[in-house]
Amino acid sequence: MQMTFLDRGGRKMYKFGWKLVVLLSLSVACCQAADLLVLSQNHRPDPFGGVVASDAPGASWLHTIQISAARGGYASFQLVVKSETPCDHCQLAVKFSQPVDVYREWFHFNTPDKHYYPDALVPVRLPYTFEMPDRDNTIQGQKVRAFWVDLWIAPTLKPGTYHGRAILQDGASRKTVPFTISVLRAQIPAKDVVDVDANSYGYGWVRQQFPKTLAGSGPANEEKLFQLIQQYYRIFYENRGIYHILGYGHSGYVDPGFAPELTGTGEQLHIANWDKFDRLFGPVLDGSAFADTRRGPRPIPFMYLPINPDWPGSFLNWGEPGYQAEFKNVVGEMEQHFREKNWTTTHFEVFFNQKKRYKGFNWDGDEVRFSKDNQYFLIYKKFLQETLPANTPVHFVMRADSSWTAGQQMRLLKNTIDLWCVGGGEFVWYADQLPALKQRGDTVWIYGGTPAVQEVSSAITFDPLRAWILGVDGFVRWLAVSPGPHPWHALSDGGTETLVYSGDRFGLAQPVPSIRLKLQRNMVQDLDLLELEAKHGSREAIQEQVVHLFDNTKVSQWKHSPSPPPKGNPIDWSNADFGDALKPYDDQFPTPQPDAWQRVHDFALQQSKTLQSGGAQ
Amino acid sequence: MKYAASFLLCLCMAVAPVYAITSANQEHDLNEIARVATLVVDGDVCQRIVTPRALQYMLHPNPRDRWSGGDNYDVNTPAFISTKKILMRLALMVSYPVDVNLWMPVPTTSRIQLVIRNHYDLSQFANNELDQKMPPEMQQVLQTGKTVTVRKKPEMISVLAPVRNSLDQIVGLVEVVSSTAPPTHDEQ
Repeated sequence: MQMTFLDRGGRKMYKFGWKLVVLLSLSVACCQAADLLVLSQNHRPDPFGGVVASDAPGASWLHTIQISAARGGYASFQLVVKSETPCDHCQLAVKFSQPVDVYREWFHFNTPDKHYYPDALVPVRLPYTFEMPDRDNTIQGQKVRAFWVDLWIAPTLKPGTYHGRAILQDGASRKTVPFTISVLRAQIPAKDVVDVDANSYGYGWVRQQFPKTLAGSGPANEEKLFQLIQQYYRIFYENRGIYHILGYGHSGYVDPGFAPELTGTGEQLHIANWDKFDRLFGPVLDGSAFADTRRGPRPIPFMYLPINPDWPGSFLNWGEPGYQAEFKNVVGEMEQHFREKNWTTTHFEVFFNQKKRYKGFNWDGDEVRFSKDNQYFLIYKKFLQETLPANTPVHFVMRADSSWTAGQQMRLLKNTIDLWCVGGGEFVWYADQLPALKQRGDTVWIYGGTPAVQEVSSAITFDPLRAWILGVDGFVRWLAVSPGPHPWHALSDGGTETLVYSGDRFGLAQPVPSIRLKLQRNMVQDLDLLELEAKHGSREAIQEQVVHLFDNTKVSQWKHSPSPPPKGNPIDWSNADFGDALKPYDDQFPTPQPDAWQRVHDFALQQSKTLQSGGAQ
Repeated sequence: MKYAASFLLCLCMAVAPVYAITSANQEHDLNEIARVATLVVDGDVCQRIVTPRALQYMLHPNPRDRWSGGDNYDVNTPAFISTKKILMRLALMVSYPVDVNLWMPVPTTSRIQLVIRNHYDLSQFANNELDQKMPPEMQQVLQTGKTVTVRKKPEMISVLAPVRNSLDQIVGLVEVVSSTAPPTHDEQ
């Protein structure tokens, strides 16, 4: 029968039909417009139309989204533009009655697993015109452009339901995605219950990351550098974190601006000039650097001082009367300056970061391993006490970052150290000392790293949650500004040393945030609400429910280690011993699901409704 | 006369930074510091700086712990401090930034270790490791006792000079180093 059809006429018809089908297909493909979809904040897209593997469980592509949010914070979701065909002039707009920030998501090629992950968020102005594929991101076969949407829910906004819509224009085609925000009466407190700290060292990295912004030299260049550093303070503050930058090296050299300029030696050593220090830190210490942020101006709560074994006292005079004379003169004048400037809310940290292995000094200030090194903290505490007026309103605090000998140091340096920063895992071994530390008025933080982009999105919430469950005051990400040499096309370590990226590539003289930073911010907002609820109800019950929803664990698992510290003297412990002892604790926690924090968020909002209606006990 | 002396002093101080950057005499200055360093740095004291325990961990690192050498690094405090103070004083022989670093061979190996570094963290050799491969320039100083000038990195000049002990053995060397680039640091 077929042979009959394929006679001369039929064969011609067949050939023509084939061509028609191909032409029609091509024509349909050419005219196929881009689609606009929504993903929740917890499921990150990949550039090829899927969701990254670690976030895939539970992911749904939506045509609309409904979010509940408390006031005084942000609510977030992702808009995803999918297109099988190139698009030269797509345009995205968002219509909403309240402030909206939209960022384009950058897909980083992650060298450890050779997959793409969105992380850096580049702010865009709306309406935003873009192309598919993204010529800048240069991904072969890219079919997706993604955008992070932050909705600012002002503290004064009237509770109720607010509607908005996102609009994608692709040639003649127009796609609209409606969204709804239920604004609750609950208000996120201005002060965070947990200080989530982003740490950094020196500012050589700023020059490396901002070659365009910091091109040239001279006073104008220095001013740009100082402004950039202030931008780092701003980005972490606006995203409900704090920021630290250490201004001296392991051998004691202090970068210009991190300390006042000195003149003289010995008894004649004095501060000569505050100009650079005041230009660099004045705006963050009086809060004016944050004047136009959504959270409003507020002085930074903590700051490293430049004090180290070779500043202000010269190590040349160590052990002699001249050393203390130099310390006393300069630190006394610092106290006076800070008092006159009314910088009386910031905690100025005397922190020793040097380690013997770097060969600058003979004792470890950071992570003391040899007990004999503790004597130096006692000496500097004495210097401080003999220098500062008894009734000073300026807060000088002695800080110790501790791991090997945390348990010993908490006892030996009682009333010497005011601010403790202890490794997150090992702190659990010594958590029974926390009430005594708090009773003395000490501040206690735990520290650790940052999850890689290939880990599940909810991983970023684990350590801040642990800080809240343990009852400490904060969590420090030990390095949070270092995306590596080629972050845009070869993220070398999964971004485990950064939560922000340089905006230099995009003509921005500021850092840009990351998805992980936004997720962390949103969870801190929830922690703030939960703390409010815990204060009004049963803390135990609320925390128990939170960890159950998060990863189906119990609070006791978070607070107690099933295994003790390694046996013997810490001086004989190895990192392997440490790891072995910590493993049973770490193994208690399964990898959280992508929606793990979403469940906690929903619970926090539900509890806040109960609290508002007077239902809490 | 008093006015003239003050004026001369001020002029010298004002010129000093420019001198540091432009003068061909910089190498002469560093050589002079190195010459004095060889005379005043006590090699016997230097040999007592790194503790025997630290050396054991450096030579025999824990196979399960790549950081064991660094975590167990320790020094004999009096020996370290007295030597560091001498190196700091030597650096003050000129009015521009100079570091005088102490390097010593790692016993029983062909490697070398930085034992004391100074304020500006200047060095043409330091790589932030506990010990490192012996650079040929250092090998030459240790073998011949002659001073060697090194210009490997742009903007930097180092003069290497021997350190001797009471047996007149060369037990280490100083790196007298200066740079025309502003110092920076990003250590963690």
